[in-house]
Amino acid sequence: MTGLADDYRGLYDAVGRTAVVPPDKPRSRFDVPASLAGVGRSTVEMGREVTGLVDMLGRVGRALVGVARDPRSFRLTSLVHQLDRVAWQAVPIIALITFLIGCIIAQQGFFHFRKFGADQYVVDMVGILVVREIGVLLVAIMVAGRSGSSYTAELGSMKMREEIDAIRTMGLDPVSVLILPRVLALVIALPALTLLGILAALYGGGLVASLYGGMSPEIYMARLREALSMDHLKVGMLKAPFMALVIGIVACAEGLRVKGSAESLGLRTTASVVKAIFLVIVLDGIFAVYFASIGL
Amino acid sequence: MTTPGSETIISVRDVEVAFGSHKVLDGLSLDVDRGEILGLVGGSGSGKSVLMRTIIGLIPKRAGTIEVFGQDLSRIAEDERRGIERRWGILFQHGALFSSLNVQQNIEFPMREHLDLPDGFRRSIALAKLQMVGLEPAVATRMPSELSGGMTKRVALARALALDPDIVFLDEPTSGLDPISAGEFDALLRTLQRTLGLTVFMVTHDLDSLHTVCDRIAVVSGGRIVAHGPMSDMLASNHPWVRSYFRGRRAIEREHRIATPMP
Repeated sequence: MTGLADDYRGLYDAVGRTAVVPPDKPRSRFDVPASLAGVGRSTVEMGREVTGLVDMLGRVGRALVGVARDPRSFRLTSLVHQLDRVAWQAVPIIALITFLIGCIIAQQGFFHFRKFGADQYVVDMVGILVVREIGVLLVAIMVAGRSGSSYTAELGSMKMREEIDAIRTMGLDPVSVLILPRVLALVIALPALTLLGILAALYGGGLVASLYGGMSPEIYMARLREALSMDHLKVGMLKAPFMALVIGIVACAEGLRVKGSAESLGLRTTASVVKAIFLVIVLDGIFAVYFASIGL
Repeated sequence: MTTPGSETIISVRDVEVAFGSHKVLDGLSLDVDRGEILGLVGGSGSGKSVLMRTIIGLIPKRAGTIEVFGQDLSRIAEDERRGIERRWGILFQHGALFSSLNVQQNIEFPMREHLDLPDGFRRSIALAKLQMVGLEPAVATRMPSELSGGMTKRVALARALALDPDIVFLDEPTSGLDPISAGEFDALLRTLQRTLGLTVFMVTHDLDSLHTVCDRIAVVSGGRIVAHGPMSDMLASNHPWVRSYFRGRRAIEREHRIATPMP
C-alpha cells in the first residue's frame, strides 16, 4: 500500500479491522416443516389475539364494576370530551355518507325495478335495507375507521411515551382512566349516530324517489309507513351498542399492544381498523341468524 | 435529615427477571438506604432500567422478593400498594408527561387523584413545585410538546415531587441534556435531596453525575450487582467492566478536563 494520504490512514485501518465475511444467513429456500411451523405459529397467535380481546373486555368490565361501586371515581370530563370527538364531530360526515348511500340505493332500485313495473317496492327495499342493515353497518364501519383508529393511535403513542406506565406507577388503573371513558363514549355515540344515519339515508331515498323516480313525498312516506314497523328499527338499533363495544375493545387492546417503534404504531392502527370491521360484520351475521330464529 | 446508611428503604433479594428464554436479571440483590442518592450503572442492555421497572412493579419478576418501606409489594392488598405508590415519584427517561394536559395540569395530576384539596391551593402547590425545579411560572400554561428536553425533564421531576415522595426513581435524568443543564439538574437534585430528605434511585450513564451527586454506586453486569459502594470503591475495583467504565478513556478525559479548565 503506497501513496495513502495520512488523513485517510485511520479510516483505512478501521476498515481493515472490520469483519469482511458476513455472518451466516439462515437459508431461505422452501422448506415444508418450516412452513408448517409457520401455520402452527399463526394459529397460536390467533388464539392469543382472541384471549387478548376477552382479557380487555374483562378488564373494562371490572373497571365498570369499580365505577358502579364508587360513582365519583368515574371520569365524566373525559367521557364528555370523547363524546364530543366521536359523536358530535362525526355528525356531518356520517350524515353525508348515509344520505348518499340512501340516494344510491333508491336510484338503483328505481332503475332496475322499473323494468318490471315494481317501482312501488323500491320504498320497501330502501326502508328495510337501511333500517335493519345498512344504517348500522355503515355507521359502525365509519366509526371504526374514524374513531377506532384514533383510539389505537392515541393509546399507542401514550404507550410509546411511557405515559401509560406513568399512570400505573401513580397508583391508578389505565383501564379506568383512559379506556373505560373511551369505550363508553362509543357505546353511547354509535346508537345515536345510527339513528341519525338511518334518518339521513331515508331522506336521501325520498329525495331520489321524488326527483328521479317520480314518486311524490306523500306516497313515499305512506309506503314507508306500511313497509316499516317498530320491530325493524329495534333490530337495527339493538345491534349498535354491541358493535360499538367490539370497536372500542379492539381499538384499545390494539393500542396497548404497540411496542416502541413508529412502525408498530402504524401496524397496530391498521390491525385495529381491519379487525374491528371484520368483527362488526361477523357480529352482524350472528345477529341476522339470531333475529331470523326468533322471527323478527 | 437522616444520615445515609441508617435504614434500608428498598431491599431487593435474589430477583430474577426474564423475557422468554432471555434472562435479564439473574439473582440480583441490592439495598438502598434512606436518604442516599444511589447511582445505578451498567452497559447498554444490562438491565438497569429493567431493575428500576421491576422495583416499581411495571415488569413482573420470576423469583425473589422486593421490599419497599419494609413491605413486599407482591404480597400486600391493592389499597396498601396504592399507599406505597403515593410515597414514590418516578421520572421516566423521556419524561412521560401527559401530552393532552398542560404543564400545570400535569403537575396537579397526582394531587388531583390522591388528595382532596381546594383548587386554588392545589394550583399554588403546583406553581411552587415548578419554581422548586427552577422553571418560570409562565411555563405552567405550555403544553408538553412546546417544551425543550431539559424543561420536559424538570417538569417531569416537578410532577414526581408533587406528592412529596420519600423516594424518587430517575431513569437517565441527564441523558440528552447539554452539560450545563445536566450540571444544573445534578445541583438541583442535591439540593432537593438535602432539603427534603429524599432517597434517590438513579439510573444513569453520566460520569459527572456519578462523581458529583451519588453517595453510592451500584454496577449491574451479567444480571447481577458486581460492585456496590462509594466512588472510591469503584475506582479501586478490579472487575474488568467496572475498571474500564470508571478508569476508561472517557473517565480519564474527564479527569483532564477538570484538571485543566478551559481558558
